[in-house]
Amino acid sequence: MASFVPKSAETLEEERLYTTARMVEVQCLDCLAKVTAKKNSDHHTSIQWSAEARAACPELCRRTPTGGRDTHQACPRMTASIDAAVRSGEIPVGAEDGY
Amino acid sequence: MWLFCDGNQARLSGCSLSDYPQNCNVFYMSDTRMLDQGTTPIRFARGWHCLGLASTYSDGKPHSIEGFGTKLVIWQDSKGELNVLDGFCRHMGGDLTQGEVKGDNIACPFHDWRWGGDGKCKEIPYARRVPLRARTQRYETAIVNGQLLIWNDPEGSAADHSILPPELPEVMTDKYTDWSWHTKQINGSHCRELIDNVADMAHFYYVHFAFPTSFRNIFEGHTATQFMESTGRPDKTEGGYSDANSTLKSEATYYGPSYMINWLTVDYKGFITEVILINCHIPTGPDTFTLQYGIAVQKPEGLDEKTVNYIAERYTESFGDGFLQDVHIWENKVAVQNPLLCEEDGPVYQLRRWYEQFYTDVADIKPEMTDRFEFEVDTTKANEYWHAEVADNLAKRAAEEPVSH
Repeated sequence: MASFVPKSAETLEEERLYTTARMVEVQCLDCLAKVTAKKNSDHHTSIQWSAEARAACPELCRRTPTGGRDTHQACPRMTASIDAAVRSGEIPVGAEDGY
Repeated sequence: MWLFCDGNQARLSGCSLSDYPQNCNVFYMSDTRMLDQGTTPIRFARGWHCLGLASTYSDGKPHSIEGFGTKLVIWQDSKGELNVLDGFCRHMGGDLTQGEVKGDNIACPFHDWRWGGDGKCKEIPYARRVPLRARTQRYETAIVNGQLLIWNDPEGSAADHSILPPELPEVMTDKYTDWSWHTKQINGSHCRELIDNVADMAHFYYVHFAFPTSFRNIFEGHTATQFMESTGRPDKTEGGYSDANSTLKSEATYYGPSYMINWLTVDYKGFITEVILINCHIPTGPDTFTLQYGIAVQKPEGLDEKTVNYIAERYTESFGDGFLQDVHIWENKVAVQNPLLCEEDGPVYQLRRWYEQFYTDVADIKPEMTDRFEFEVDTTKANEYWHAEVADNLAKRAAEEPVSH
């Protein structure tokens, strides 16, 4: 059952642009977690986890189950892995028309 | 490429402005972007919803509150339990909220049918027997942090107590002030407008008069969190976030579709105060909801009761003003299903994808609605521009002020 229904087909394409376009796969340097990430600028980061990646991350698994305040912090190892991928040029830095 | 109908062709095809653009058959190629207002859902969100302080309902009388397109009746039984049922009697539709509590049951003012907290009709004083089908809509309840929460699910599932908001340690002890609780009816907006704020960095400058210097989001499972650090704008004096002398560290998490806990650390000229703000709502119709918010302030050590209460009152007032700033925007804006974003905006689309899980049958929840997602907004450029604008505003004001002799 759909809830908020867009009236225009173009809206679905917008959703795709903002949520998945330009996301680059990043393998954690310390564990088996694999996420997708995007950098619109040096200070911007977008990270999409999957259930498999979440389960593979010992740092996030060590924390209390979803809902505890300590899950509100990023995994420092994944942050470092994304920084490394930026330095090596695997993740391009820069936005495209706002996405 | 966006399609729209220009006025001339509209006239030729007999298309009036009132049915433009949906029903217009003649299209004209243009780069003009259209607002897709979408269609709002008919159903109400699945999850825990807060009805306010439990103490409000604990006087043995029936209470009435609008919610989920109906009216709910709330009463306390002899065991001290709070019960919540649909407010209208399944017999002839009488208003139970105007009835009486008799024993543990709520009695209808129309024909005295007695309903129990489990939703079953317990007694019809004038009848030989109660019809077996005499069951009404009941809402399962939980008390968290002194507040009454009820479970809503259009699919009728049993309440999931594992996703209740957390108990707040020390709140409701003498280390914190009592909840200061407030209610505000919002008309003409779906409650998703309120949720959108979680990802909205720039509105803190324009609507709440603060510089958001750091802004992050994490969405995962049934929670959505916003982290923000901000300082007030020196060119503005009104509203919750605008005091130039204070720096705010805010961590705000939605536990489900409607209940947010906001942990705020306020540094006012080096004087640190911990504030807890609850921001929750009950949808009442397709474009109406009731906002409720409560504030508890950690009592600073070494201050007398009167000063502590004064500080708590000021925070309550200023965050209340903050909500009113939002309300004015909501009540005048339109819904938009295809927001156009710039690089400095937060992850509105991902937030809405997360929010969609509560409007979807459990079997249809997609992994991406609940998978962990992290986002950090780059606030650098925005703050450079805003600081220049504020400096300019202050300079203009100084120039306008009469020179004193």
